[in-house]
Amino acid sequence: MKKLLDRAGVKGLRIAGVQSLALAGRAMNAEWRQKGTVLPGLLFPLLLAAVYTNQFERATHLPGFPMVDSFLDFVLPATLVQAVSFGAAAAGSELARDIENGFFDRLRASPCARIPLLLGRLIGALVVAIIKGAMILAVFFACGAEVAGGIVAASVVVISAALLVLGIGGLAQVLAIRTGSQEAVAATFPLIFTSVFLSSAFFPTSLMSGWFREVAEINPITWIVDPLRRLVLEGWSTTDVLQALVVPASISVVTMLIAVSTLRSKLGSS
Amino acid sequence: MSSVVSVRSRGLSQAGGIIAVICRRGMRKIRTRPALIVPVLFMPLFFVISFTGAFSSLTRIRGYGTDNIFNWLAVYAVLTGSVFAGMGGPNATAEDIENGFFDRLLLAPGSRIPVLLGTVAFSAIRSTIPTTAVLLLSFANGLSMPGGPVTLLIVYLATSSMASVFCLIGLSVVYKFRTVRSMFLTQAVAFTAMFLSTGQVPIGFLDGWLHEVARINPVTNVLRLGRQGFLGDLQWSLTWPGLVALAAMLIVSGGLALRQLDRLSE
Repeated sequence: MKKLLDRAGVKGLRIAGVQSLALAGRAMNAEWRQKGTVLPGLLFPLLLAAVYTNQFERATHLPGFPMVDSFLDFVLPATLVQAVSFGAAAAGSELARDIENGFFDRLRASPCARIPLLLGRLIGALVVAIIKGAMILAVFFACGAEVAGGIVAASVVVISAALLVLGIGGLAQVLAIRTGSQEAVAATFPLIFTSVFLSSAFFPTSLMSGWFREVAEINPITWIVDPLRRLVLEGWSTTDVLQALVVPASISVVTMLIAVSTLRSKLGSS
Repeated sequence: MSSVVSVRSRGLSQAGGIIAVICRRGMRKIRTRPALIVPVLFMPLFFVISFTGAFSSLTRIRGYGTDNIFNWLAVYAVLTGSVFAGMGGPNATAEDIENGFFDRLLLAPGSRIPVLLGTVAFSAIRSTIPTTAVLLLSFANGLSMPGGPVTLLIVYLATSSMASVFCLIGLSVVYKFRTVRSMFLTQAVAFTAMFLSTGQVPIGFLDGWLHEVARINPVTNVLRLGRQGFLGDLQWSLTWPGLVALAAMLIVSGGLALRQLDRLSE
C-alpha cells in the first residue's frame, strides 16, 4: 500500500514537473514572439546606466562615496537587478491575459495540477532572466566595466538577480489572480522601479539622510545590491555570496507561497 | 445653406457628446476600480520621495542651482507622473481592442476622431490627480515658489499637455500592436524621454553625448518651463521654448495617432 502511495506520489510529482515545463516553454515562446516588447526592458536599464554614468560622475568625488574608477562599475549590480526585474512581471501579466481571454478557465477544467499553472510561468521568467543578465553583463564588460571578484562573482550577480525575478513574478501573479487585469499587473512596473530607487541601487546609503536612509537600509533590494556591489568593487567574499543568494531566494519562497494560497482561495470561492 | 450649418453644428455637438461620454467612461472606471489609479498616484509620489531622498547630497555640489532638492525634482516628478497618467487612456483602449469593444465603436456611424479625442481628454484630466498629490507632498516638505501662483498654472498646463502627448503616443502603439502588453513600448519611450533631460541635474553636470541629447530633448524645455517658478522669477525666455516644445510634441504625436487610427479603421 505504502509502495503504491509512494509510486502515485512520484508519478504526481513527475506529471506536475512535465506540466510546469510545458507551461514554462509556453511562457518562453510568448516572450520570444513578443521580442519587440521585451527589448525595451533590456535596453532601458542599460540606457539608465549610461545616463547615470554621464550624470553622476561628479558625485563620485563626494566624501563618503565608495572608491570607484567609474560610476559604471558602481551601477553594474543595480542595472542587472533592474533589467531582470522589469521582465519579471510578465509571469503575472500573461496569467492575467489568460484569465481575461478564458484560457485559464480551460486550464482549470483540464486535469492540470494547480501549482504548475503558476510555477510554469515563473520557470520561464527565470530562464529569460538568466539570458538577459548574461547579455547585460556582456555589454558592461564591452564598455570597460570590471568585476573584481572574477567571473564566478559575475555569475553570482546574474543568478542573484534571476532569483529575484521569481519573487517579483510571484507578486505579479498574486495581483493577476486577484484582479484578473493586465493593466493592474502592468502597474507593478513603476512600483518595481521605485522600490529599486528606495534602496542603495544608484547611490550609497552613506550619502542619504533621515528616514529615507533608514528605509533604504531595511529595503531587501539594498541587502541584495550591497553584497553584489562589494563582489564587483572589492572582490570575492563567501559571506557576500551567501547574502546575495539567500535574500532573493527567501523573497521568492514567500511570494510564491502567497500566490499559491491566493489561487487556492480564488478557486475555492469560484 | 442654413441646413448645412445646422448639420455641421449637429456633427460638432455629437462629437462633443462622444468625447464627454468616453471621458466619463474612463472616470467611472477609476471610480469602480480604484486599484487602477493607485499606481498612477503613488508612482510619482514615490518618485519625488525616492529621488529627493537618494540624491539629496547632490545639492552639496557647486553649481547645482538650489540648496533644496525639492525645488529641482518636484517638477520632474509631476511631469513623469502625468506622462504615466496619460497612458491610462491607451491602456483602456488596448483592453477594449482585446475584448472586442473597440470594434463595436468603430462600427458605429460617424468620425473616429472624437473617440481619440475623448481618450486624450480623459488622460489630461487624469493627470491632474498625481500632479496635485506631488505638489502637496512637496510643499509639505519645503518646496518654495518664488515665481508666484502663476507657476501653478504653468505646471498644470505642462503636465496636462505631457499627459496628452503620451496618451497619443500610447494610442499610436496600441492601434498598431493591439495588445495591452505593447504599452511597455510607450513606457520605455516615456522613461527615455524623461531621463535624457535635465530632470535630475542641471545641464552643466551632464557629460559627453548626454549633454548634447539633453540640450535638444524637448522635455528639457518643458522642465525649464515648469521649474522656473520654483527656482526664481518667471521669465519669458524660459517660457516660450517650453510652449513651443509642447505644441510640437502634440502635433507630431497627434499625427501619428491619427495615422494609426486610420489604418486600424481600414
